[in-house]
Amino acid sequence: MSDKHALHYLLLLLGLSIFGFFFVYFRYDQMIQIMISALASIFYVGWGITHHALEGRLTKLIAFEYILFGSLTFLLVFTVLYL
Amino acid sequence: MPSKITHPKTHKKYQFLYHFLPHQQNKTRARLLSHGALLTYLAMVAIMLGFFLLVPKLFPGVLGYASSINIKDLFNGTNKIRVQNNLSELRLNSELSKAAQEKAKDMFKYNYWAHVSPTGTEPWDFILAQNYDYMYAGENLAKNFNDSKGVVDAWYRSPSHRENLLSPNYDEVGYAAVNGVLDGYETTLVVQLFGRPRNLAQIATVQEQDNLLNNSQISRSALARNPATVPAVLPALDVSLATNTLSFAIGGFLIFLLILDIWYSRKKGILKFTGHTFAHITFLVLVLLGLWITLSPGRLI
Repeated sequence: MSDKHALHYLLLLLGLSIFGFFFVYFRYDQMIQIMISALASIFYVGWGITHHALEGRLTKLIAFEYILFGSLTFLLVFTVLYL
Repeated sequence: MPSKITHPKTHKKYQFLYHFLPHQQNKTRARLLSHGALLTYLAMVAIMLGFFLLVPKLFPGVLGYASSINIKDLFNGTNKIRVQNNLSELRLNSELSKAAQEKAKDMFKYNYWAHVSPTGTEPWDFILAQNYDYMYAGENLAKNFNDSKGVVDAWYRSPSHRENLLSPNYDEVGYAAVNGVLDGYETTLVVQLFGRPRNLAQIATVQEQDNLLNNSQISRSALARNPATVPAVLPALDVSLATNTLSFAIGGFLIFLLILDIWYSRKKGILKFTGHTFAHITFLVLVLLGLWITLSPGRLI
């Protein structure tokens, strides 16, 4: 794994940890938790697209894959928290 | 160059395995991780969500939250926590219990879930309506919980509800656990009202408290079709159980397939032109873990 690659992963882990902290902190307010998980999904999709673009291997299919994973994960969380 | 002939059965077996494993020649992920499969999961979850949102509106009471809550356990659980925190035990008061009962019935009648009703009625109005003249008063609410312990535990874990639970300003408490249909879902609403009477001589006696505890039972909203007392809510389908199981099953299945993808790709040296599998696993695991840690069996306000 290159240094650049490791740095990108570090940023991903850092970002997700921050979202995770706020997700747990607001555990008694499901609406805020839903908003946090939406932001975390957007962050993840953004990270995936930026990371692949910086590596010069971004395609529409790869961008679509991150959008699908981000949307699916958010919808799973939304289903549990909203109902 | 001689071509290798494989038995059709072996071929079929590999075709099936490629649903779970990446394809060596095509250099693609397992079919169950393809874009089409991910879109299908997305559609499945969206349909499930639509079902759970639409059915209560079309057939109120069919879906709900199974529960078995009783006032004795709510009362004993609260006092146990207060004693553990070196506070005096609360006495069960009949006026506060009646006020709690009226508050719960009001929420079912006007279909709301809040401390203040849509018409502006506050918790204190219910208490004062029972001629309980208070110096201090407080209210905790809970819905969709399975049992009494779950309610008390959740109140204790929530900072704002714990403040009421452990307040030295209260001497008495009243409870109501009322079954009914709220927003189309069959559920049990729990109301906990705290108070300190202005006249301390009015604090309930042990005898009054014991009579109240022996007579306490879960009542049912007057709006419900069957007004008989029902000890437990048993909807045709428990929403919490169904959504949690399905969401965690889909998430877990995806994580399993992604781990399989990494393992098999490394083993066979398959280089695929896709997004990062490890990043997907990290994201999914962290999100499901966060959800698992904070998962509450019910709702508080």
